[in-house]
Amino acid sequence: MTTTSPTAARYAGSRVHRVEDARLLTGRGTYVDDIELPRMVHACFVRSPMARATIVSIDASAAAALPGVVAVFTAADLNGGVKEQWHTSSGEEGPETPRPPLAEGEVRFVGDPVVLVVAGSRYIAEDAAELVEIDYEPLTPVVDYTQAAEATELVHTSHGSNIIGDLGAFPLSTFDDVFDSAAHVVSETIYQQGYAPVPMEGRGLIVDHSATTGDLTIYSATQSPHEVRMFCARLLGLPEHRIRVVMRDTGGSFGQKVMVQRDEMCLMLAGPKLGVPVKWVEDRQENLLSAGMSRREHGVARMAFDDDGVIQAATIDFVQDCGAYPTPWPVMTAAAVGVFFPGPYRVSKATFQARTVYTNTVGRTAYRGPWQFESLAREVLLDIAARRIGIDPAELRRRNLLRKEDIPYASPYGMTYEQISPMETFEQALSMLDYDAFRVEQAQARAAGRYLGVGISNYVEPSTPGYGYYGTEAATIRVEPSGKVNVHVVGGSCGNSIETTVIQLTADALGLNIDDVATVQGDTAVTSFGAGTAGSRSGSMTAGAVGQTATILREKLAAIAAHLLEAAVGDIELTDSRATVRGTPTVGITMAEMAKVAYFEPQKLPPGMTAGLEASSRYTATDTSIFVNATHVCTCEVDPVTGRVDLLRYIVSEDCGPMINPNVVEGQIAGGVVQGIGGALYEELAYDEDGNPVTTTFADYLLPTSTEVPIIEYGHIETPSPGPGGYKGVGEGGAIGAPPAVVNAVADALSPFGVTITRLPLSPARLVGLLDPSTRAADGSDQ
Amino acid sequence: MKSAPFGYQAPTTIAEAVGLLAELGDGAKVLAGGQSLIPMLALRMAVLDELVDIGRIIELRGIQRRDGHLRIGAGTTEAVVGADPDVAAAVPLLTRATPLIGHFQIRNRGTLGGSIAHADPAAEYPAIALALDAGLEVVSTRGRRTIAAADFFDGFWSTTMEPDELLVAVDFPVWTGRRGFAVEEFARRHGDFAIAGACVGVALDDNDRVTRCAIGLIGLGAKPERPTAAEASVVGVGVTDVVADDLGRLAVADLSSIPSDLQGSARYRERVGAAMVSRAFTAAATEARRD
Repeated sequence: MTTTSPTAARYAGSRVHRVEDARLLTGRGTYVDDIELPRMVHACFVRSPMARATIVSIDASAAAALPGVVAVFTAADLNGGVKEQWHTSSGEEGPETPRPPLAEGEVRFVGDPVVLVVAGSRYIAEDAAELVEIDYEPLTPVVDYTQAAEATELVHTSHGSNIIGDLGAFPLSTFDDVFDSAAHVVSETIYQQGYAPVPMEGRGLIVDHSATTGDLTIYSATQSPHEVRMFCARLLGLPEHRIRVVMRDTGGSFGQKVMVQRDEMCLMLAGPKLGVPVKWVEDRQENLLSAGMSRREHGVARMAFDDDGVIQAATIDFVQDCGAYPTPWPVMTAAAVGVFFPGPYRVSKATFQARTVYTNTVGRTAYRGPWQFESLAREVLLDIAARRIGIDPAELRRRNLLRKEDIPYASPYGMTYEQISPMETFEQALSMLDYDAFRVEQAQARAAGRYLGVGISNYVEPSTPGYGYYGTEAATIRVEPSGKVNVHVVGGSCGNSIETTVIQLTADALGLNIDDVATVQGDTAVTSFGAGTAGSRSGSMTAGAVGQTATILREKLAAIAAHLLEAAVGDIELTDSRATVRGTPTVGITMAEMAKVAYFEPQKLPPGMTAGLEASSRYTATDTSIFVNATHVCTCEVDPVTGRVDLLRYIVSEDCGPMINPNVVEGQIAGGVVQGIGGALYEELAYDEDGNPVTTTFADYLLPTSTEVPIIEYGHIETPSPGPGGYKGVGEGGAIGAPPAVVNAVADALSPFGVTITRLPLSPARLVGLLDPSTRAADGSDQ
Repeated sequence: MKSAPFGYQAPTTIAEAVGLLAELGDGAKVLAGGQSLIPMLALRMAVLDELVDIGRIIELRGIQRRDGHLRIGAGTTEAVVGADPDVAAAVPLLTRATPLIGHFQIRNRGTLGGSIAHADPAAEYPAIALALDAGLEVVSTRGRRTIAAADFFDGFWSTTMEPDELLVAVDFPVWTGRRGFAVEEFARRHGDFAIAGACVGVALDDNDRVTRCAIGLIGLGAKPERPTAAEASVVGVGVTDVVADDLGRLAVADLSSIPSDLQGSARYRERVGAAMVSRAFTAAATEARRD
């Protein structure tokens, strides 16, 4: 069979303007709250004000009697409707943690949904919520996750322990002989605070149940409309094809909306009982109370080095706080921290121990690089080690990083790193900074009483999971009768430019002018199943799906053109939305002319060819993971009087393979870096010792803004992956690499004071507390 | 985050506004720029029967130079205060502090009077009013009076205004001669309320001796604070003989209600406050010496 190759990429690799920008930047996006349906009512939750308490009684009579109130639901009204409540990626047989829609008998964190109030407006719903009287009998909460395993109080009595799971590789003592005989052993306990994805748009959905047909339409802020549909079908026991889930624009997610949580379950259960559409849009306070926490964890990171600073062994023993209701089951994601702890370095001896625990705080959810503690712990430890051994931190890394000649490299846990370039990104980033010049500048500044620092981090991360739920992706490309083209993929864009990406790829694959291509995404009624946005998978997977589908269509187009132009199929070229004959570019036929024949004059098609111009195909990933590496370098100045940190330069050199669109790549990196800077310096989802959250508005939960973040500088190394187009995932890395780079820069700035930084965030008060312990709070904490 | 129901009145004259305040009583609250009150209503931290919106009262706006004073209408927005050349010439501290108030969107709505009447101890204008001995002119149906700034702030978000009184204008004394001003504050992020800050005014005689020193402390108590002993300690001293760090330490030495929270302990804030006084004094003194 003759295959027509795509012409040279015209759009892939170029900085095509995002097709999403015109609507998003002019305030014309369509988020859940922008959708208005006739007769729609509005929901609000009554949430627990206590970290742990028995629900003695609920009196909703006054709330129900308030004019405008439509319904008031408690656990007794909704929870019995649950048929099944498992997420597709975890599987029906997978281990699970509890997930009651409304709290039943006991509340387990401040923010736990107890009652669902539905009214004619959100204002009235909130008025009614204040009228619900709940009698609580307080119980002693488990707040400090570091004590949870030994606590006598249990978050979930039925579980019998606050330990969700322990998982490890080899025993931690496996390499004791290596540590015992090493020239240098460096071990530190490193703490990361809880922080959260904080999407601009909170969670939200509209559930529209048709009483006449029984069909359910859900408008959802999600990363994965098909998962919302599958989950809802199982939850309610409805046939999947009677449910349609539509996502329009989703205003950020970063993992928080990757799976259905309890609040959304309540709306799905309540919707069919109401007879009218019901909307719930999470407000900021709810988002910070109840949408999920990430990152809160600590671990003992330990490395053995020889005399030259060459790593002999590496271990990490860590504990993650999973709150009361984690989503998804957290034990496996915790293991990823252990597996990636050795990083992009030559480490042949490594092991880990991971523990996940329940506490009476908001549940742990996925967040951009959920395993990023491996990089934080490793890279912070490497800088501490460099100072102790007396070697420059860049040089210590250089002696241990994987070099070209080491690759392919088998990690201690059996993963094979190929197509990565740790030494190349490292040297590129250092050269962008001019590392040696910075060290000179730093010395001069110190002499003048100013404290500058530089921090480096390297990492390797898995992207594009190629198994199970995530392992395939579909596309339908439809040349409409006018010759204009629509490409249908599920997408799941939460701001990550999948529309632009798919349009670029389709235009290249079919030789189309980019303005002739549009895309349809996010609606289960008109897209085939796909897992949506997760695991930095969209670039590679949609490239696979579009590429495979376009190949089918390209062959059909070539056959039609060859037939109509009386040329050989092998001589047909597709370019500029036309088919031409190789060597005779004046002889050609437009896409519009071919579409007209395909739809309206099928008798002119090659004999036996079916009418129409449309193809669908489903791509199957070939690799379990596509590995990506990067180096982050950050410089800063610290004021030792106030603890103020000013970031001066921020450099990222990454290898995400060939770039489909450098603007999109850099946008993804920037977003992640800013979140990582937030985690290192500003953000903390904090609780007091009684389990009361103390950061429930943006006055207290501090996000970095444009005034705190320096210009981010990008370097690119493009080593093709084995996947479609050689592309790799780039969605998560920024958030992985940034925290350790910032921490190391601050620690380097303060190195003349001999302090060791092991606890985040680096608030000014915490830094001053390290320099002057007398400024710490009375309880001795460094807050 | 939807407010509880409230009544809303939008008078167009001061007389009408104070009439409403007298009539509506304790359940009524004046709405100025709304940059603190509206979020508090949305969070249901405040539940009020009636809002009296003074945003349409033209006579509350404007800036006038009078002999020895700069009079600013309470309804003048922070953005206008920050950009006004008369303010810059007469009361430079206001001009320099204004960019530190929130973000420009906030300053476009927030008003000078709203900030002072709200009396947040971490806000800039209350501390400046206190340091410069401003006069706060208030009106009710019972008449008009001027409250000295030293008598105006009496606790966290609390003033000595009666519930039926409306702040209509603030009179800032204008310093003449060789003088310098500076405001220094430390906030976690640009636009946040300060962890600690200080505004300082310094006047010098022709021999560079300090004739006057005014210090307002920001974020270091339940209300804006004025460390009078520290101020007095430098009067009569040659400005180059003042050890600014010592002045800073003295300025925060007697504070008894420094807040302590997630952003820092009282001891931490004290340290930062001392540094802010020191830095602000140094900058103000440098400016005064150039005068």
